[in-house]
Amino acid sequence: MPERSRRAAGVVTETLPSAMYRVRLDEGPLVLAHIADRIDRNFVRLLVGDRVRVELSPVDVGRGRIVEKL
Amino acid sequence: MIVCRSAAELEKMRAAGRLVADVLTELAGLVAPGVTTAALDAVAEERIRAAGAIPAFKGYHGYPATICASINEEVIHGIPSGRRILNEGDIVSIDVGASLDGYYGDHAVTLAVGLVSEQAATLLRVTEESLYKAIERVRVGGRISDIGHAVQQHVEAYGFSVVREFVGHGIGQRMHEEPQVPNYGEPGRGPRLAEGMVLAIEPMVNAGKPAVKVLGDGWTAVTRDGSLSAHFEHTVAVTADGPWILTAREVPVGARR
Repeated sequence: MPERSRRAAGVVTETLPSAMYRVRLDEGPLVLAHIADRIDRNFVRLLVGDRVRVELSPVDVGRGRIVEKL
Repeated sequence: MIVCRSAAELEKMRAAGRLVADVLTELAGLVAPGVTTAALDAVAEERIRAAGAIPAFKGYHGYPATICASINEEVIHGIPSGRRILNEGDIVSIDVGASLDGYYGDHAVTLAVGLVSEQAATLLRVTEESLYKAIERVRVGGRISDIGHAVQQHVEAYGFSVVREFVGHGIGQRMHEEPQVPNYGEPGRGPRLAEGMVLAIEPMVNAGKPAVKVLGDGWTAVTRDGSLSAHFEHTVAVTADGPWILTAREVPVGARR
């Protein structure tokens, strides 16, 4: 039986201070996500409207980490 | 944390795996036009309980049945029902899991009901091939994402697509353990495979686009574009000699035609 992935795709809807973003997931919910260190180091700029992949927190359903720009 | 199993534990997992393989072999023999998915579910539950094992799915986050039976555009987690009748030309994915002596086995195949379209037959063949290509990548020192990469490479070459929202998983004393095993991605990423790890590798492949949605029952995942979807799964242990398919059977069944 497959497990629900903790990764989901979405669209950046708002950029917030300290490398935080609000992301609307394709599945519906809005999550607060910070950018993963490994992509921040490459100076990837994220803008409103960018499609990203988010790794969701297993602890806090409203939070995640942006791991990939699609 | 990813648990590595001892040789004795792997033997127990093989016993659980053999049981689900035997059950699935029997179910595959029953698949025919006119059969309901609830009938298949009843046989599976009876066989699992007769062997002294426990159906793994029943009660899992409230799932109501022993098997998942997903027809045509249903990707996974189809709930068996007395009103769902298999028709000639359908494809049906049957997923079975059981725990025996505290250890889990998890296994799925997609079967053709009677004669199916050429597209459906190709989808079944390619998805099953992608599972075995993924299993070939299971070796000590390899990486988790090598598995998904092998699946994605193979199925996308045929114009099919990989479901992202659901993934394979570690398995052992619980059905879902660390790590998650996606069926897509770049190779050489994620945790390294070590001797004794056990993974449920399960490509879910759509004939059309990758997007899926979950229906109002909270379980059944269907393709958003209504295209056909196939799903094959084995429970595989990482050993020094390479992959050990714990859910292997003596006589292969499946969608080869």
